[in-house]
Amino acid sequence: MSGRLQGPAAWLLVSITLAMMLFILAPLLVTIATSITNTQYIIFPPRGFTLQWYGKALQDEDFLAAMWFSTLLALAATVGALLLGVPAAFALVRCDFAGRGAVASMLLSPLVFPVLITGVALLQLFAMLRFDNTPLNMLIGHVLVTAPYVVRTTAASLSLADITLEDAARTLGADSWRVFRRITVPQIAPGLAAGALFAFMISFDNFPISLWLADAQHNPVPLLIFQMIASVFEPSVAAISTLMILFAIAIVMILERVGGLRRAMAM
Amino acid sequence: MASIPVDAAPISRSRASRSPRGLALPKRLVPAALLLPSLLFLAVFFALPALGLISYSVLTQAADGTIGLPLTLEHYWHFFATPLYARVLLTTLEISLIATAIAVVLGYPVALVMVRSSPLIRQAITIIVIAPLIVSVVVRTYGWQLILGNGPTGILNWLLLKTGITKSPVALLYSETAVVIGSLHVFFPMMVLPLASALGKIDPRLEDAARTLGATSWRTFRRIILPLSLPGLTVGCTLVFSLTAGSFVTPAILGGSSGQMLGVLVEQQILIVYNWPFGAACATVLVAIVLGANLVSVRVLERRRRIAR
Repeated sequence: MSGRLQGPAAWLLVSITLAMMLFILAPLLVTIATSITNTQYIIFPPRGFTLQWYGKALQDEDFLAAMWFSTLLALAATVGALLLGVPAAFALVRCDFAGRGAVASMLLSPLVFPVLITGVALLQLFAMLRFDNTPLNMLIGHVLVTAPYVVRTTAASLSLADITLEDAARTLGADSWRVFRRITVPQIAPGLAAGALFAFMISFDNFPISLWLADAQHNPVPLLIFQMIASVFEPSVAAISTLMILFAIAIVMILERVGGLRRAMAM
Repeated sequence: MASIPVDAAPISRSRASRSPRGLALPKRLVPAALLLPSLLFLAVFFALPALGLISYSVLTQAADGTIGLPLTLEHYWHFFATPLYARVLLTTLEISLIATAIAVVLGYPVALVMVRSSPLIRQAITIIVIAPLIVSVVVRTYGWQLILGNGPTGILNWLLLKTGITKSPVALLYSETAVVIGSLHVFFPMMVLPLASALGKIDPRLEDAARTLGATSWRTFRRIILPLSLPGLTVGCTLVFSLTAGSFVTPAILGGSSGQMLGVLVEQQILIVYNWPFGAACATVLVAIVLGANLVSVRVLERRRRIAR
């Protein structure tokens, strides 16, 4: 009984929670429902049933190009974020040096700064330096906003890993690299995987960096959908959005499997 | 958030002396080598451009588009003295504050139910709360556009007319209210998760004790739960406020002309008007608001930690 909710207050809390669950799911459910309507325009409730809008979306060259570009960009950004974030997290958790707190805040500072402004500041820098390689510029921007998430998840799993095992391995004569590879990595692997997957999604969904740095040849999915919302009024926008929702659900399932959702977000 | 355990006892010091075959690098250089790539990357692609943008806001743009001296505060004056822009600033603050306040009122019940339920229900609530975070903001906002649509084709209006709650469709889309609803949806998890994590640490026996001693639910909340969850509340409020203030997609799709926010203004000034210095000034105002909110939150958390000691 201890700690369980009870009494009339409990009913109020549970009702609010149920209402909020509906609130959270409503825009997703509505989008899915609209995508199957057998009409040329968007209507609710949907009339009939058709998958033609999915067929149309999957044949849309702009959408396919955007999917391909977003996937590549997110993969590259994830690799970049891991390369920068994992060593940094390791130093933060396992090394003792002056100013650790300050360094930790610095590494996480892109999460505090408005991402939209990070993007426009990068645009200014790239314009000034005459960096005109759009994919590379976007990659830099995406690594900048995904790396802090990797630092956070890796640091969280490192601090949960059992350090006495590493000491034991070392006592038994293993060198640092071997200890890292055989003892530390297996322990933090779920956290790393969750962090990497989360970084992938952060990059895949990123809008406020891409807004400034993308061009017509390199148009990621969120930007494409944003443009379509203003110009296309058929249910194909809903179909594309539904595909994105299903993709996200798949990732959530995997995240939950690998290491727990809340751990992935290090909250 | 920001859960890097810097307070944890340093581990490597005790071991430094007895590592038989350590790395080739001297022990003290290891953290430097591990951190250098990240810090260098941040310096070049984050700190430098951020300072560059801020410096643009006090420079002058010549007729041919080049930006340089003389230094001027004219762009800030222009921002604060023009009613149109001052209005955007006020709207931004208003929308962010209202979204945060609603998130607090609705976030506590959800976080409490989440923490106090059986593992299965807790997992279900966690997934529903977090899952939308992984769906692109653009897609979620599109869903809200469908729901809030003006005229009888909007889903909310269809529902209202169908159930006879209203006789004629209500106009919600393209207003501040629409942006508040959209922002609340996008950033609600940022309130619930820190709250749930703070609530999870409260010893449930404290509440039982309060209740046994005759306290009402409201009193128990006010005297036990609220003060003990203050750190989570502070983090949640800061996140929801600063993320809402800095948002672009939600006001751009749902705001129309009356719900415009600073982010949209920055985008218009730079990508459409090409007025870099003025756009930079608007951006700097936005950064000041967000960093100000974070500073207040750090202060609150620090004071609390001192009292707790």
